[in-house]
Amino acid sequence: MDARVQDAGIRGEIDIAGVNKVFGQGAAAFHALTDIDLTIATGEFFTLLGPSGCGKTTLLRVIAGFEQPTSGSLRINGAEVAGLGPNRRPVNTVFQSYALFPHMTVAQNIGFGLKMLGKSKREVEATTADMLRLVQMEALAERRPAEISGGQQQRVALARALAPRPRVLLLDEPLSALDLKLRKEMQGELKRLQAETGITFVFVTHDQEEALTMSDRVAVMSAGRILQMGAPTEIYNAPVNRFVADFIGETNFLVLPVASVNGATATLTLPGGKPATARLPDGMRPATGADVTAVIRPEQAAITGPEEAELTATVDGAVFFGTDTHLQLTLTDGQPFVLRRQNRPDQPPPATGEKLGLSLAPGALRVLED
Amino acid sequence: MSSAAPEKGFSVRRLPGFGAVAVFTFAMLYLPIVILVFFSFNAGPSQAVWEGFSLQWYEAAFQNRQVRDVSLRSLGLALTAASIATVLATLAALGTTRVGRFPGQTMIYALINQPLMVPEIVTGIALLIFVAAIKVQTGYDGMGYLVAAHTAFCIPFAYLSIRARLETLDPALESAAADLYASPAQAFRYITLPLLVPGILAGFMLSFVISLDTVVITEFVKSAGQDTLPTYMLGQLRRGVTPEMNAIATLFLALSVMIVTAFFLITRTRGR
Repeated sequence: MDARVQDAGIRGEIDIAGVNKVFGQGAAAFHALTDIDLTIATGEFFTLLGPSGCGKTTLLRVIAGFEQPTSGSLRINGAEVAGLGPNRRPVNTVFQSYALFPHMTVAQNIGFGLKMLGKSKREVEATTADMLRLVQMEALAERRPAEISGGQQQRVALARALAPRPRVLLLDEPLSALDLKLRKEMQGELKRLQAETGITFVFVTHDQEEALTMSDRVAVMSAGRILQMGAPTEIYNAPVNRFVADFIGETNFLVLPVASVNGATATLTLPGGKPATARLPDGMRPATGADVTAVIRPEQAAITGPEEAELTATVDGAVFFGTDTHLQLTLTDGQPFVLRRQNRPDQPPPATGEKLGLSLAPGALRVLED
Repeated sequence: MSSAAPEKGFSVRRLPGFGAVAVFTFAMLYLPIVILVFFSFNAGPSQAVWEGFSLQWYEAAFQNRQVRDVSLRSLGLALTAASIATVLATLAALGTTRVGRFPGQTMIYALINQPLMVPEIVTGIALLIFVAAIKVQTGYDGMGYLVAAHTAFCIPFAYLSIRARLETLDPALESAAADLYASPAQAFRYITLPLLVPGILAGFMLSFVISLDTVVITEFVKSAGQDTLPTYMLGQLRRGVTPEMNAIATLFLALSVMIVTAFFLITRTRGR
């Protein structure tokens, strides 16, 4: 829960409180969503992130009105919408399959929502023209969906959902069918469209990189619950538990004994005996001598000379990734450690079997709750 | 894909006798029809001796009042029965695919398709007894019985083609329509129905041809003076065959071929 928004009493574009969704009954009941509390601010680019089956699409469908919550309240712009059908909510959806109407032209697809809203023919035409320009599809207005490419279909689906000027645009993994280059292009396009229209975007994805690069805030979901919600930097730098740490980016998990606890931080003993300061999660006070799990990102450690080294590691192998190289290391106590180092022509990767000294970036080490 | 078939693997085309079996099968299927059509143009009254080209048997058929009457009756009956069957089949297809799963769904599916599985002669005799009882009770002996019997018989054919079409429709299309503020009625009117048209047309044509062709059920259900073209022809054959029958059969064949061709064109071009 984002305490900042809640405490300030700001009314969001979308307010979800205590929403549960259960499919089936009795022994076969499946809890798709459990106690979801969520406030999405007007104009925000909000992402629901999680592996498949985590409930992110169900939550989107609940907001759209394709599914009704089993319990709880759902307000859009302050008005309760739980129980209303999708045609009575100021929300439009970009479907994963695009779901363009195959018997209509691109222009007719885009104008459909306005037509259903009973807008005049002139208004439908004017807005359709605006939308065609917005997604740069003017030249293909009279084509049918089957006659345009996947990327173009994607643009039409976006234009169709934006045309009625919804308060909220819901996007269900809209980029998953596109190839990498087109996906990158559309990510930029989506950000531009959101900035231009000022509409609140709720974006569903299982791609953590996509979530980090595009969102104002991210909610990480697993097994029907929201595990952590916050800005991408917050989620990446301060994961609340092992699942979030593991799901977002790459992480080294180190089991280390506690030397002392001093308020919000603890001093841990690194393999080799050197001390290191690690941030503790709120309210956690581990006993001195107990083992805790600490995390550090692969790029937050660096190779140093033996004098400054906090850790010593042996090189097991190196994987070349273009911009950087992932060094697979083993610490002196046998724990594995991955180090990510930017490639530079003057720094060839160390040889397998070589011993390296490592230093950790200050504040990089964090203790996990579990 | 077939032209670039790899050398390995099983291919029925390389089995010995494949060509002979294929030729024989096609000959059995189409040779009798070709001969029938051929002798419809015979100048003489024989089915075996060619006496020159003539359209006289077509002329005779067109001038035969009885042939005109039964043909019009057949067409009217087929049109009525196919129309009613198509409407009912469309509703049935929507009811069994668009409401989610419900108990007894498979049962209903089987019941709708019953006429495909029960021998036609059984249906015919059952209808004969049933219709006779109603006739005694009500005194009504009009075309209603034939229309009802043909409609019931046509429903599964229309149902199968409409349902097949409905199952290829992405349910997300209806969701998208609802999302874009269409009421359920509007979503049906603007999205489901237009996309269903090829299936509905195909179902209608199939029903039409089936009704036009049905002999057994008509024979058992019809009252006096309600001969359709097939039952009339059957009756005439008992009195010996003249090439007039060939001419009528040829015209009938031409109509069927036109409808079936239209059926294929519609399902092919609009099906995608």
